[in-house]
Amino acid sequence: MPMSSYNIPIGPVHVVLEEPIYFKLQVEGETVVGLDINAGHVHRGIEFLTMQRNFYQNLTLTERVCSLCSNNHPFTYCMALEKLAGIEIPVRAEYLRTIADEIKRIASHLFNIGIIPHIIGFDSLFMHAMEVRESMQDLKESVFGNRMNLSVNTIGGVRYNITDEQSKYIVKTLENLKKPLAEITKICRTDASIRRRTEGIGVLPKDKAIAYGVVGPVARASGLPYDVRVVNPYAAYDKLTVYPAVEQNGDVFSRLLVRLQEAAESIRIIEQCLHDMPEGPTDLGYMPDIPAGEAIAKSEAPRGELIYYARTNGTPIPERIKWRVPTYPNWAALNVMMPGYKIADISVIIGSIDPCISCTER
Amino acid sequence: MIRFFKVILKNIIQGPSTIKYPFEDSPAPEKLRGKIVHNADACVACHLCEYVCAGGAIKMQESEDHQGIDFVVWHDTCTFCGLCEYYCPTKAIHLTNDYHTAHVQADKYNYVEKTFVKKQPCICCGEPMVPISPAMVEQIYGQEGDIRGLSKMCPQCRRKILWKGGVSKS
Ligand code: SF4
Ligand code: SF4
Repeated sequence: MPMSSYNIPIGPVHVVLEEPIYFKLQVEGETVVGLDINAGHVHRGIEFLTMQRNFYQNLTLTERVCSLCSNNHPFTYCMALEKLAGIEIPVRAEYLRTIADEIKRIASHLFNIGIIPHIIGFDSLFMHAMEVRESMQDLKESVFGNRMNLSVNTIGGVRYNITDEQSKYIVKTLENLKKPLAEITKICRTDASIRRRTEGIGVLPKDKAIAYGVVGPVARASGLPYDVRVVNPYAAYDKLTVYPAVEQNGDVFSRLLVRLQEAAESIRIIEQCLHDMPEGPTDLGYMPDIPAGEAIAKSEAPRGELIYYARTNGTPIPERIKWRVPTYPNWAALNVMMPGYKIADISVIIGSIDPCISCTER
Repeated sequence: MIRFFKVILKNIIQGPSTIKYPFEDSPAPEKLRGKIVHNADACVACHLCEYVCAGGAIKMQESEDHQGIDFVVWHDTCTFCGLCEYYCPTKAIHLTNDYHTAHVQADKYNYVEKTFVKKQPCICCGEPMVPISPAMVEQIYGQEGDIRGLSKMCPQCRRKILWKGGVSKS
């Protein structure tokens, strides 16, 4: 072994975001040659807690597993229970769920779109992206009642409705978002300093992407057109057309581009929903009983495929709730993305998978 | 780079996007879920809100003198999820758009919404019971209300009256 090879610890405090994860990197000179991922710093035992609470309390609990994809947790949890109990939700509720989910996706993607320039030191673009994102936060606050936790889903439907006036407000806000989003996209695509720091960095080739089973924008940036909304439509997605964004290079830059395109696609999906949404009830009108059984449901969270498993025994408290979050397969793929790159690239590579540690460790 | 300078220039001309809270007011949208208020007159003490509350923020207990129910919402453990309001049959519990929840540490256990759901004597036997609120009466008996006065009776007396009246009379 040459003299210049040594181990460096990265984390667990403030690796990329304010979420703890610990990497033990083996480097040779400035180049990464191997890594160990050490997780578990924010394990809160949420899966265990769901088994101590009734089905309704768990709506609130699952929403608080994570912040940026908070809506997908109760959403998928409800879908699993509805499948288990054989509940058909009203069509309007399906559309309302889809709208809420896509608004969350835009806000989540814009966050990561801001974080990437921030990591490479382009803070003014970070600030600008966050300011643009603020319109989505305002939208969530006025339509759903909270900037992060929407409280949209319930077993058998949704807990909110939108009036014509609100529908116009959503359309207007999205319309106002289109121009700044196109502008940011153009800056990201053309700016030399962004491209220098992201192009050809953290490459995940297609075959490795398949081998590691990565999901979400990470998979789509490596040329895998896998999107649960398309291959396994749920809620109103079977009635909508969704074009997943796919890039081929598998580098940090491609993942950034995928998110930029998906944000624009989400605007289009919401517009479709608002246009097609039928009138009608938004929930069942009663609190359904959940029989004994087991079921599985999945959805496309902003970070990728989220799977929920539920097992019940006829009591109001679930026997087991288990979920698999998109970051789990994605962070394992860091083992491919990091070796061969410089220490200075580490944080942007981690940031590019948009990790959600609190989801993964729950 | 040039492209981004245009954005910066636009932002400079536009001025700051932030507000100087708390020196400047930040109005909350109508739907914002904030501090809870409870209307004891509309409450029928059904415990549904307590059942769905993940935060364990709602406590309902019979008062010591058995004259009513002490209803307490502890703001500090409420997650503002809105499930209680959503499932409350009479909407007696409501999340206002008041988000001002700062308070001193010494007050943390007193920072509650506290009401008293008063019992009334049953019109037949006089046993104290939680009255069915007007909002609930309208939901059950419709616009003209409860003409037989059943909602002012305790469950035992109500059963007796209904039995005497025969089961086929709807
Ligand atoms: S506030 Fe509503 S849900 Fe709670 S006990 Fe009263 S009536 Fe029932
Ligand atoms: S808003 Fe949610 S946490 Fe707060 S009291 Fe109601 S149910 Fe409990």
